[in-house]
Formats: sequence, structure tokens, C-alpha cells
Amino acid sequence: MRKFDLELGVGLFMIVGIICLGYLTIKLGKMEVLGDKGYEVQAVFSNSGGLKTGSSVMIAGVEVGRVKHIVLDDYEARVVINLPIGLKIQEDAIASVKTKGLIGEKYIEITPGGSEKIIVPGGKIRETQSAIDIEQLISNYVFGKL
Amino acid sequence: MGFKLFLSGIVFLFLSTVIQDQALAGKPTDSIRKTTDKIIGIVSDPDLKETDKRKEKDLLIRKAVDEIFDWREMSRRTLARHWRKRTEQEIKEFIDLFGKLLERTYLDKVEGYSGEEVLYKGEAVDGDYGVVKIMIITKKETEISVFYRMKKKGDDWFVYDISVGGVSLINNYRTQFNSIIVRSSFKKLMKKLKAKVEE
Repeated sequence: MRKFDLELGVGLFMIVGIICLGYLTIKLGKMEVLGDKGYEVQAVFSNSGGLKTGSSVMIAGVEVGRVKHIVLDDYEARVVINLPIGLKIQEDAIASVKTKGLIGEKYIEITPGGSEKIIVPGGKIRETQSAIDIEQLISNYVFGKL
Repeated sequence: MGFKLFLSGIVFLFLSTVIQDQALAGKPTDSIRKTTDKIIGIVSDPDLKETDKRKEKDLLIRKAVDEIFDWREMSRRTLARHWRKRTEQEIKEFIDLFGKLLERTYLDKVEGYSGEEVLYKGEAVDGDYGVVKIMIITKKETEISVFYRMKKKGDDWFVYDISVGGVSLINNYRTQFNSIIVRSSFKKLMKKLKAKVEE
């Protein structure tokens, strides 16, 4: 009987351990299990500058959503982002790919517009600004000087 | 007989490419091309080169630009969420000042024109919205890509945003104006704009 109690204890400990591990994996890996809350909108960029699935979407520096996936479509980057349901994005909002710091990771910044039309779930942010290629800027500057 | 057929074949082929070419360059490109040619005509007009003709030249350029720029739409997009809080009077004043500000920036660039080449890189139309892509090649062989974002109104297309080298004009001013309005007030923004325009 005593032996059985010990085995039960170890088993329970293992199960709790696995649950904790699973929780940490989901939390740290920023995965979503029970379906996404929120809605999706698309934005097409001519250069996504290395944006990744899971990159942040910010408004006024506040993280409001994440990049759900990115596909190449006609040599342009079609980015699908996930936004919370209560957040309204105006039809003339501008989505731009920005860099945290000078060489930090990429994120999408949305500057809200003033239109009365709101982008519906599954809709598209028409106004986009691609990542600024700093190397290109430097080379333009260098070769422009010739 | 065979030769005749061959010849008419070539003529047909030639004609169809010409027609296709015209079909490819749609209305948005046409209106941009028209205005660009008009402005280039004005700045390279030897009669208007003298300094005392400067006012006249500026006026002509402004007129050409007015035909294709939708100032109200541009102002609305620039003020974004602050637009709806403005009275009709404030809106009128803002459109006037913002137009003048762009005119200053734009005219300075245009007046430095010295035979840069303008290439039309195509357009993309999606419903009532379109983008016209052009490439300006400077004398130093630097390429500058310019996108004109246009909106259809009735039968004509009007510019509401310009991106130069991937940087949107509206986004630039929207961020700047928003931070001025949030930090101080709309009145302060108008004061700053006035000072800048009168500089």
C-alpha cells in the first residue's frame, strides 16, 4: 500500500511537471491554442524587411496584435495580422514596417486614419510603407556623391 | 499573295502592340504623364527662366498641380483622427496652409529640374484606388522611385499621397502633426504652419 502511494505521488508530480512545461512552451513560444481571439486584416508590402510570424503590431508604441503569417504574392509580401475585436482600424490607416532601434527587430506600426469607413475583418490596409533599406540609403548616398 | 498576307500580318501585329500599349497605360498614368509633361514644359521654358518671371512660373506650376492633387483628401488623411473635430472654417484654413507648405517643398524640388529622366514603371488599379509608379533618373544616374497614390472621383483620378523612395508624404506629416496636436493644440499647429509658409 505504501509503495502504491509513492508511485502515485511520482506520477502526479510528472503530470504536473508536463502541464507546466506545456504552459511555458505556449507562453514563451507565443503560440495560440484555443483559436485566435480577434480578427484578421491584410497588408501588402513591397519589402517586408524580414518581418516574421509573431512580430508585433503597434499603434502609438502599444502592442495591439501580431503578424499571423506572411506569404509571397506576385513578388510582394502579403502580411496577415491579427487584431483584437474591439480595435477599429480606419480605411485610411497606414501600416509601415519599422525597426526597433537602429538594427533591432522589425515590427508593424499602424498610424490611425480619420476616415469614417472601418476596415472589416478579412479586409485590407491599403496604405502601406515598406521597410526602409538602410543599406540602399547609404549606397544611394555614396554613389549619388560620385 | 503569300507575301501580302505576311505583310498584313506584320502590320496587324504592330497595330495590336500599339493598342495593347495604350490599354496598359491606363487613366491614372495618363493624367500623371500629362501633368508631369506640363510641369517639365513650364520649368524648361526659356521665356520663364528669368528671375522676374518666377512668380508667374510658380503660379503656372501650382495651377498644373491643382488639376491633379486632391487637396481636401490629402488634408483629411494628414489630420487623420483630428479632422473630424475641426470646424469648417479651420478645415478651410488648414487646406490652404497645407497646400502652401507642399507647394514650397514641391516647387523647390521642381525648380531644380535639369533634364532628369522620368520613366513610367506601370500602375496598379484596385477599384477606385490606383498607384502610378514612376522612376526619376537624375543626371548622376541615381534612381529615385516615386509612387503616386490616386483615387477615382467621377471619371478622373486625383493624387492623395506621394511616396518618394518608399517614404509616404502623408504618413510623414500625419505623424508630425499628430504629435504637435497631442502635445499642444491645433492652434499651435496652425501657428507653426503659418510661420513655416511665411519663412
